[in-house]
Amino acid sequence: MADPATPILELQAVAKTYAGGVEAVRGVDLSLAPGELLALTGESGCGKTTVLKMINRLEQASGGSIVFRGRDIAGVDPVQLRRQIGWVMQGDGLFPHFTVRENIAILPKLLGWDPARCELRVREMMKLVQLDVEEFGERYPHALSGGQRQRVGFARALAGNPGLVLMDEAFSALDPITRDALQQDFKRLQAELGFSAVMVTHDMAEALIMADRIAVMRNGEIVQQGTPAELLRAPAQDYVAQLLETPRRQMRAIAELDA
Amino acid sequence: MNANLAERFAELPDLLSGHVLLSVAALVVGMAISLPLGIFAAPRRHLANSVLNIASVIQTIPGLALLALMVPLLGGTIGYAPAFMALMLYSILPILRNTIVGLQGVDRGVIEAARGLGLTDRERLWQVELPLALPVIVAGLRTATVWVVGAATLATPVGAPSLGNYIFAGLQTRNWLSVIFGCLFAAGLAILLDQLIRLMEMAARERQKGLAIRVGSALMIVLMAATLPRFIELPSPAPAQVLAEGEAPARLRAQEGALQGARVRIGAKAFSEQYILADLIETVLEGEGADVERRDNLGSTIVFDALRTNEIDISIDYTGTIWATIMNRPEPIDRYAMFAEMSGWLYEQHGIVTLGRLGFENAYGFAMRADLAGELGARTLGDLAAHAHDLEVGGDAEVFTRSEWISTRDAYGLGAVSTRAMDATFMYDAVRDGQVDLISAYTTDGRIPAYDLVVLDDPLGVLPPYDAVILLSPEAAARAGLADALAPLVGAIDSTDMREANRLVDLERQTPSQAVRWLLSEIGLDEE
Ligand SMILES: Nc1ncnc2c1ncn2[C@@H]1O[C@H](COP(=O)(O)OP(=O)(O)OP(=O)(O)O)[C@@H](O)[C@H]1O
Ligand SMILES: [Mg+2]
Repeated sequence: MADPATPILELQAVAKTYAGGVEAVRGVDLSLAPGELLALTGESGCGKTTVLKMINRLEQASGGSIVFRGRDIAGVDPVQLRRQIGWVMQGDGLFPHFTVRENIAILPKLLGWDPARCELRVREMMKLVQLDVEEFGERYPHALSGGQRQRVGFARALAGNPGLVLMDEAFSALDPITRDALQQDFKRLQAELGFSAVMVTHDMAEALIMADRIAVMRNGEIVQQGTPAELLRAPAQDYVAQLLETPRRQMRAIAELDA
Repeated sequence: MNANLAERFAELPDLLSGHVLLSVAALVVGMAISLPLGIFAAPRRHLANSVLNIASVIQTIPGLALLALMVPLLGGTIGYAPAFMALMLYSILPILRNTIVGLQGVDRGVIEAARGLGLTDRERLWQVELPLALPVIVAGLRTATVWVVGAATLATPVGAPSLGNYIFAGLQTRNWLSVIFGCLFAAGLAILLDQLIRLMEMAARERQKGLAIRVGSALMIVLMAATLPRFIELPSPAPAQVLAEGEAPARLRAQEGALQGARVRIGAKAFSEQYILADLIETVLEGEGADVERRDNLGSTIVFDALRTNEIDISIDYTGTIWATIMNRPEPIDRYAMFAEMSGWLYEQHGIVTLGRLGFENAYGFAMRADLAGELGARTLGDLAAHAHDLEVGGDAEVFTRSEWISTRDAYGLGAVSTRAMDATFMYDAVRDGQVDLISAYTTDGRIPAYDLVVLDDPLGVLPPYDAVILLSPEAAARAGLADALAPLVGAIDSTDMREANRLVDLERQTPSQAVRWLLSEIGLDEE
């Protein structure tokens, strides 16, 4: 186990300018302790996905440094890097021509595990995400509900036993009940397996409920980061206050109805 | 079983195996080129567009033209090589296009997921992109298969034996059973291969190992059964006429063995007279013990190219044809002068030896129904000028672009006559039935007397002479015995003989070998 004081992931002055001149991200500093869940939130187009993709080198940072497990990722082979980082993408991104079992087993197979160990891992993962192996193992993604697909997405991301999981709007396409169930399950998984996670969401309520720490982005920059309590207590800008206002108003409305 | 059908079946092993070997080889190599090319080009938009454009241009060349063009492009080689090249090029577009379109159509999200999970480019290609593009790629392969199997029938005129032999020969000799036979087998083969590929894809997609094995074995069996005759000497079906020891023609027997075991290849163009003459030469040479190979149904200039490059040893050509289309001489000259000048030119330019004239002429002559000629008071071509506006002339596609028609038209004031190109097989019936008024007949055709047609006089001598000549390739000319063996044929066949032999085949539905038997007895080569 890594020393809790050393961050597993550290971003310093990270910037991204896309070909064509769009300055999507500027001067982003982030730090993630082992086992921590960081939520990255902000309005649409503010650069959340871009930050996430730079971490596993799906996009190349144009400035700054990203250090994962003590090494600057610019010097790590992208394929090796990605195999150590779980990836749950916007939409489920499952392979439509693979069964649930094969989707989950893909990384263990690529890592060269023997078939018995792969199979064991598939069963373990499906149990973790609460999908019955016998019932769902041989199904293709098109024969699953949205929530079931997202569970498979989690299982696939976690199958390689990653130290870090990146999630992009993993819950946003789900109905509220399924979303709530999955959010709870994810927290439980994280507690059980002890991985760190960066989750992108534009839903402030989700960020407040799930995250240990929240970073709020606007126009490619981080305008404030802190624990949910810190943010609620002292929003640094009107923009942050506005983002917090929506869940607050909803909570008040519900509390009044309840009274 | 009907004799015609039995004969067609006897030819089947050779032609079917030729057809299958040609199309499967073209498809396999076409696929080996277009799949990797498509995979390489798909992520590179500009390159993908360029290669697709090039392949599309090749595809717009009509199949027959592409096949014929391959012969000069390959330096006059005929047979398997040009046919293979053309069909292979033909198979590229559908496979290439579908590979590119299929790969470019794979969902971006799935590709990003594969990258994000840590698949290498190669793993992503093999495990994600190709399997997802497979149905589209296979659809391209199926299109290519149907095209290539169909187009392989066009390999006949460039000298590669295929099911097209049934079609071309059947068309020339009006043997419709043969045409239908060829079409049915070609279509059946295309459907069979197409369906086997479809099942193969289904097995791959649904990962049914059992089905894949069954389909794979079926494919292997079909290919092996079809191509086996290529690799194993099957006991060949009895030839139409077997000369028992005692009956062998005396003159042939006298020199028996002069060509023992020599391999001689005879080329023939695609019409009855050529089949008969090729058969005649074959019979004579086999009498000398030669091992004869036939290349029938070759395109007119392809025969010459093949002879020039020693791809074939012997052909029968016509002085006027060589004069106009090979020597490019616009004005015809006197018959004897033309023969002398042509022989000299062929030898000097190409080393081709003109063994001699067979004795008859197969010229273009303009023929019409005797009763119509009487009505119009037409004896010579010039007499038609007054009626030119009302007349339509039918002829093979070649004649209207040749100097024969152009000079005739200009010399006799027939500019107002309308022309209609058709296959030579059909033109005699067309003029008999009044569908056209005049045809560019071949003067040795048996249907001229049979249909009561008259050939109009050419008092100005515009139409060039077309003496049939035996030509030997440079290599064949140097071979001992060959010229000697063929010498008896020089001057042996007059126009009446040839017209009758043609009539036997075209109208009496006799086979060329039956006509040859008649011809041999007529010219006294079967007895001494
Ligand atoms: N490949 C690209 N090329 C050019 N510009 C891009 C590219 N990808 C994203 N951008 C731009 O970069 C900016 C940030 O995009 P990003 O996808 O990171 O936003 P986001 O915060 O994830 O938004 P959303 O919540 O809508 O997903 C946007 O202005 C977007 O248009
Ligand atoms: Mg996004």
